[in-house]
Amino acid sequence: MLDFEQEASLAELLTPDQLEKLGNLLSELAGCSLTVVETPATEGTAAPIEFNLDTVGWIQGPGPANIKTAAADIAAFLTYFITKYRWAANLHRNTTEENYDELQRQNDALKRSEERLQTLADSLQEQVDQQVEIIRSTQQELYESARLRAVGQLAAGVAHEINNPIGFIKSNLSVARDYVGELAEALPPDHRLDDTVEDFRALLEESLAGAQRIAAIVADLKTFSSIDQADYAECSVNELIQAAIHLVQTNQEPPLSIETRLNPLPQIHGHAARLSQALYNVLDNAAKAIAEGGQIRIESGLNEDGQICVQVEDSGCGTPEHLQDQVFDPFFTTRAVGSGTGLGLSVTRDTIQAHHGQISFKSSVGKGSLVRIMLPTSRK
Amino acid sequence: MAEFDEQQQKLVLKIVFYGPALSGKTTNLMQLHSLLNPERMGELMVLETKDDRTLFFDMLPIGFRSRSGLDLRIKMYTVPGQVQHDSTRKAVLSRADGVVFVADSQHAQQHNNASTFENLDQNLQKVGIDIEQVPLAIQFNKRDLSDVVGEDVLRERWQPTPWPPVIMATAIRGEGVLETFQLLLRRLYAQLNPLYRLVERFQIDEATFVALLSRADKEVGHAGL
Repeated sequence: MLDFEQEASLAELLTPDQLEKLGNLLSELAGCSLTVVETPATEGTAAPIEFNLDTVGWIQGPGPANIKTAAADIAAFLTYFITKYRWAANLHRNTTEENYDELQRQNDALKRSEERLQTLADSLQEQVDQQVEIIRSTQQELYESARLRAVGQLAAGVAHEINNPIGFIKSNLSVARDYVGELAEALPPDHRLDDTVEDFRALLEESLAGAQRIAAIVADLKTFSSIDQADYAECSVNELIQAAIHLVQTNQEPPLSIETRLNPLPQIHGHAARLSQALYNVLDNAAKAIAEGGQIRIESGLNEDGQICVQVEDSGCGTPEHLQDQVFDPFFTTRAVGSGTGLGLSVTRDTIQAHHGQISFKSSVGKGSLVRIMLPTSRK
Repeated sequence: MAEFDEQQQKLVLKIVFYGPALSGKTTNLMQLHSLLNPERMGELMVLETKDDRTLFFDMLPIGFRSRSGLDLRIKMYTVPGQVQHDSTRKAVLSRADGVVFVADSQHAQQHNNASTFENLDQNLQKVGIDIEQVPLAIQFNKRDLSDVVGEDVLRERWQPTPWPPVIMATAIRGEGVLETFQLLLRRLYAQLNPLYRLVERFQIDEATFVALLSRADKEVGHAGL
């Protein structure tokens, strides 16, 4: 900021040219040579130019003192107006700059405030998006868990109701098979019922095999719905895989070609029902992929990081590359309308993630697909 | 703040006349110009006015040179009272050593007095001066007009502040102008003396200080020191 009220000497207020001109004019008036100087050669022969209690210059030259004093008074008179102009100009400049700076500061403050608002607006949008995503996935989970619970309850009910009758059917059938032997021996030697007895025996054998198969399915259903277990418990992944395989096979005629290579695994702490559902969904996909023929390979084992690794590979139709990013998206399906909900892999991924695991999907059209599931053996 | 040039023993002080528009700040300065007869007095600089209103500021320098060698000068300034010249008011107020607040006694102007006093407080803060610390004299001008607030009311109103007595003035007739100035000089001296040891070093006591700067008697000769 300028010091607007600063006292200045005449030499500072005027240019050398102007000072010289002033000297010349004064000389002309005085009729002798006078010069306006900042400091006189000798104060005795010079007259001071007094202005506002200060000496702002001197009139120097030969000639009478009263002439020099008058010349000094004229110069002081001029100084008054020059100073007035200078002060007003300086003050005006100061206040203008000050006002400009103030406006600049306000402008900057406004900009900063706008930026803050913008940031706030942006983060609000982000927060809204996050909340929407949370709501969406929570709804999805709710839907899935309700469905799973319903399926589980149904399976548990069916298993319970079938278990007893199938038990006595099995035992009765095996007793009946023994009775057929006894009856055959008790027949007179000349009987002609050999074909009937043989057929009877075969019928009973077949019925027994069917009953045993029903009993096995019921056992698998029990495992699958985990009716005997609390939500989270120690469970064996290999057993869950086998139960899922059986369940998939029950729908198939002829049975699918499934090759398994299950290596010993430690128990993990998990939700058996949900893991079963997850494995079943993967297998079900594989089974549908090889509907036109092909093979499924299931492998389990521990990798070098001590994680359980389950691979389900099929030699089926495969999924086009541009759709592979979407296979885990809810309601995404490549099947005909009505034949798939598009929730299978989505539920599987949610379950695996809930167990702190990972799932990946690779596929090539015409060659088949590979789903790899990794599950940590110890909870972090 | 006061500038003291040790080598030349020159002390320059700044007094600012503050107040609402048209309260008589310039009139005070003009009256001082004609009433005062200090040892040294410069020209009254009236920078620019429009319809009797100060646009920039006015300035009157006075001073004395004591026998003890002190070259003391006081520059008295007025500020423009109109609201829109706040930057100018602030610029003039910077480095002030004392303030005379010229208020308008008329009833209708009381609100302006209050808001201008508040503006003085704010601008002092902006230039780093505490209103409680700076020497300040309050003058109620225009006592000659009819519709003015009573003297008792004004005195009572200002009694709880650090600044009484408030001075009643009719600056246009020169009444109360010197009194106000002298009150400020006494308050100014109380702050200067401890800082520059005026008594000890220059043998200037309060009475001398006030007398030398505010003598109105044109017959009095040179400074007595």
